[in-house]
Amino acid sequence: MVKKLSVLLLGALLATAVSACGGNDSNNEAGSSSSSGGKGDKPELRMLMQYSRFDPNQDYSAKAVSTLTGYPIKFDMLPAENADEKLNLLVINKEPYDLMKLSAPQFYNLASTGALEPLDDRIEQFGGNIKTAISEKSWESAKIDGKIYGIPETGSGVAVSEELVVRQDWLDELGLKMPTNTDELYTVLKTIKEKKNVIPLTGSKEAVSSLLGDIAAAFGVTTDWVDQNGTLVHQIETPQMKDFLAYMNKLYAEGLLDVELPLNTAAKVMEKFANGQAAMFKLAWYNAPNAINALMANEPNAKVSLVPYLKDKTGKATVFAASGTTWYAVVPKYAKHKDDAVKLLDAKLQPDVFKELAIGKEGVHHEVKDGKYYPILPKFNDDLSNASVLMTGVDETHYPDYWAARVRKDPTLQAYFENMQKNAEGLIVTDPIALAPPIPEVAKNKLNLLQLQVDWMVNFISGTEPLTNYDAFVNEWKEQGGDEMTKGANDWYKSAKS
Amino acid sequence: MASRNRNSAASAPARRSNRGRIRADWDLYLLLVPGIAVLLLFKYVPMYGILIAFQDFRIFDGMSGSEWVGLDNFRRLFTSDDFLHVFVNTIAISLLKLVFLFPLPIVAAILLNELKNMAFRKSVQTVVYLPHFLSWIIVSGLFIDLLSINGGLVNKLLSQLGADPIPFFLSNDYFRGVLVATAGWKETGWSTIVYLAAFSTIDPGLYEAAKIDGASRLRQIWHITLPGIAPIIVLMLILRLGSIFAGDTEQILAMYNSTVYKSADIIGTYVYRMGLGKQEYSFTTAVGLFESVIGFALIIGGNYLSRKYLRRGIW
Amino acid sequence: MSSLTTKSALTGPPARRSSKIRKSGPEKLFDVCNYTLFTLIGLTTLLPFVNLLAKSLSSEEAVVSGIVGLLPVGFQFGTYRFVLQDAAFLDALGTSVTLTLIGTACSLLLTTLTAYPLSKPRLAGRKWLLLLFIFTMLFSGGLIPTYLLMHNLHLVNTLPVLFLPAMVNVFNMLVIKNYFEGIPDSLEESAKLDGAGNIRILYAIYLPLSLPVLATIALFFAVYFWNDYFNAMIYISNPGLKPLQLFLKELLASSSDFLRNATMDPDQAMNTAPQSIQAASVLLATIPILLVYPFLQKYFVKGVLVGSVKE
Repeated sequence: MVKKLSVLLLGALLATAVSACGGNDSNNEAGSSSSSGGKGDKPELRMLMQYSRFDPNQDYSAKAVSTLTGYPIKFDMLPAENADEKLNLLVINKEPYDLMKLSAPQFYNLASTGALEPLDDRIEQFGGNIKTAISEKSWESAKIDGKIYGIPETGSGVAVSEELVVRQDWLDELGLKMPTNTDELYTVLKTIKEKKNVIPLTGSKEAVSSLLGDIAAAFGVTTDWVDQNGTLVHQIETPQMKDFLAYMNKLYAEGLLDVELPLNTAAKVMEKFANGQAAMFKLAWYNAPNAINALMANEPNAKVSLVPYLKDKTGKATVFAASGTTWYAVVPKYAKHKDDAVKLLDAKLQPDVFKELAIGKEGVHHEVKDGKYYPILPKFNDDLSNASVLMTGVDETHYPDYWAARVRKDPTLQAYFENMQKNAEGLIVTDPIALAPPIPEVAKNKLNLLQLQVDWMVNFISGTEPLTNYDAFVNEWKEQGGDEMTKGANDWYKSAKS
Repeated sequence: MASRNRNSAASAPARRSNRGRIRADWDLYLLLVPGIAVLLLFKYVPMYGILIAFQDFRIFDGMSGSEWVGLDNFRRLFTSDDFLHVFVNTIAISLLKLVFLFPLPIVAAILLNELKNMAFRKSVQTVVYLPHFLSWIIVSGLFIDLLSINGGLVNKLLSQLGADPIPFFLSNDYFRGVLVATAGWKETGWSTIVYLAAFSTIDPGLYEAAKIDGASRLRQIWHITLPGIAPIIVLMLILRLGSIFAGDTEQILAMYNSTVYKSADIIGTYVYRMGLGKQEYSFTTAVGLFESVIGFALIIGGNYLSRKYLRRGIW
Repeated sequence: MSSLTTKSALTGPPARRSSKIRKSGPEKLFDVCNYTLFTLIGLTTLLPFVNLLAKSLSSEEAVVSGIVGLLPVGFQFGTYRFVLQDAAFLDALGTSVTLTLIGTACSLLLTTLTAYPLSKPRLAGRKWLLLLFIFTMLFSGGLIPTYLLMHNLHLVNTLPVLFLPAMVNVFNMLVIKNYFEGIPDSLEESAKLDGAGNIRILYAIYLPLSLPVLATIALFFAVYFWNDYFNAMIYISNPGLKPLQLFLKELLASSSDFLRNATMDPDQAMNTAPQSIQAASVLLATIPILLVYPFLQKYFVKGVLVGSVKE
């Protein structure tokens, strides 16, 4: 009784406080929406975005979406951390969004619980542009039990992102040739260690992908899954992985691999290379301007070369590239404006609109040289740096060309991006399940198994765990969800092949 | 402390004669209403969520649609292979911190209090609490640099002295020490504040008298300063007991790496890693409940012991 | 424990010993050590901030290379211009200042009001009430029911959600209660004889005597509200209503977080903030709250209690 009474009492108190503050808020919202200039027949849509470092309600590209499609849009954003938890809370409380942009696990999670609206009928009715823009292969990734639950966004096409770089000036000084396989790499690292007394090779522990790469590929470890006689086997269950770890452990034990690898962040690795403490590391092209400019500022005579992708025992090189659907644009079941949401998605993919959203206006934001799009700076950066974040599905035929303008805004960036792609030409392998629809067993277990894998790999490399314990790792991995995940992947793989 | 007790003892008879004391003190109860209302509304109304620990909670089905599983989640925690080892780590690290870091702010506050140059003292006070405002991620980066074996300051000094470099962050022998030392560096200054405030209640006349008596600084500290802040020390200690079991997950997540899991993986970090991407609401709630129950028992036990032996407590 | 105080009170100052007031040798040594110790400690706690300052004023190339120590390398001031012109930063700053001011004022008031009755042993059911409060220090219903409650109260995406639930902080309440308990009952008794009610006594006698602890708790609350990002992360989705620490936390989320998210998006990686800007943001987000402490220090006066008791 007392409890109820006091709750009521406080409720009244709060209501006053809240209405005061809440009133303020709604005023603000009204103000911002009227400024984005909506037309009478097109309602304001609410869209939930992934975290990004800007306020879409103030952004040029976001305003361009409204201007070009006629829909005023109010954006909210998921946080950078705990995004999945937050998304769940928003959805179970039916926060009235008309559109959401989701990652693959989020997409599966919501679609499988019935929180998303199937879009087949509406795409048929309003989605002429959508149907031309998205390829048949991509649609597969957005289907669950045969129904389309979202517009898949594949990004800028299949591309490699990382390659080993080496201090060419040191190689020249020591009379060393560019290594082409892991044996030659060992010799080069050993010589650098003896003669220069620097860290020959550095790397970070941040993710499985930061431990794998050129060297692992030379041992045959590239994709997550490997087809062995029609059955998918995870990379950790292949003998190649063990060979790779043994090699890395040898490098580590002999001081050829940074002793602090288990501590290094990606930024730390770049720092060691940039200040001349390390001779080699795996550079991502999008970090190239940062890393290379910093090195040049410290050592103006330094020269950096890409190490061509290393060859395996048979003399063949391979390189892994991520592919498949990155994002999904979805409509929640309880959305207020489902038709309008799909109409908006369609309007954004109208070819001219899409082009302007991707690279702005010709002569203002971009120019065309030799049939290639080049950004006009600084206007391009000022207005369009968030353009790709605001995409909801892309024109899959043209987007890789448009997108390339983004790497042409800096000569170093462009050089490293293009040279890496050139080195990788013909060598790229992609994952056998890259184009699968979200597989529940994989979505559920992937993240914690990746953490488990990176931890064990670091421990094997650093010698904290001897490689004789490798079976213990595989067993734990299987127990923690690996078996479940392998089964799920194989079920899809077999059904897709038949 | 003694003089205060005497005061209250003197006023006791007057109070006892006050018969309708609840009615007389109606305004005292009125003061409690808003606080209790906020507490009930924001803390106790959602308390039913604890029951999730006994369910296999699926968020889209809600609590009514989720299955009851009894103690399954607790069984899973206690029977997990790593439980014993992370349990031991949790307690070991917490006890180390309690023993080394609980007295540190008290000592620091007393020493600060002995600084007679006010300008210096105020600047020092302001400066020592700065690290509290740095996030663990930043602090971690700082100490990784400082203790690095590739040119970190500490290892440079060690090699000057002819010692072998120590990989502090990679060694199960040293890593717990690193955790305790960095926590001390980050929080000691901040933790002095509550003691510094308590000094203001001490009668400066007592120090005057003691000086005239010829008591040394140490004796003054022991016989005036410490008794003066004893109540707040006891309060802090009892509350600290409650969090022994919770550990400092945020710090360890920011600082550890897989090579030191053996010595530094605690319940919080272990549950975090195992639950990555899995949304295991029930299991994490169960683990939290387990920690809370022990923490609450420790507070009640601590208060009981404190009442019994120090004759003061929270209630 | 009380032997010395009572003894000195009884015996009074013997003239013979008064010459010893001047500092002896060991005491001087103690002073020297003490000053040296705190100079060193102060340096270790100050230097990281000097380093941050130097980084924020250095060229990005120098910061990326990790060669900035205590002085800027490749001096520039553009980072500050950039951060201070960033609309998102300024919005967040505004939210944080408002939140901290309102939150601290409301919380201090409510916590003090709650602490006072609980500091009186004569309060019926005091033990159980205290347990009711302490219970919530350890047990909570968790995120899901709490979010549901906020949703039903229409608090989601508003400023009050960031301070209403935090208004009664049990730890802070216990510290104030503890302090109130140290104030001699005789003061209350004499005021009662003059016919003052409890609220009047709290206002006229207890509060003026408790300025040190109230200043401390005000600081604790201010720092709590300033530093809290978690509640905003959960309850605020409107990017214009983010407080500064959430803005900062997301700014510092390095490319590694994107790696961990399993979906590696090169556009996001290209968009991470330069480290010199990160350093400038950390400093700009920390300095306002640092300014509070020196301001509150003046309330830490020695012997506040005694003066009044002697009156």
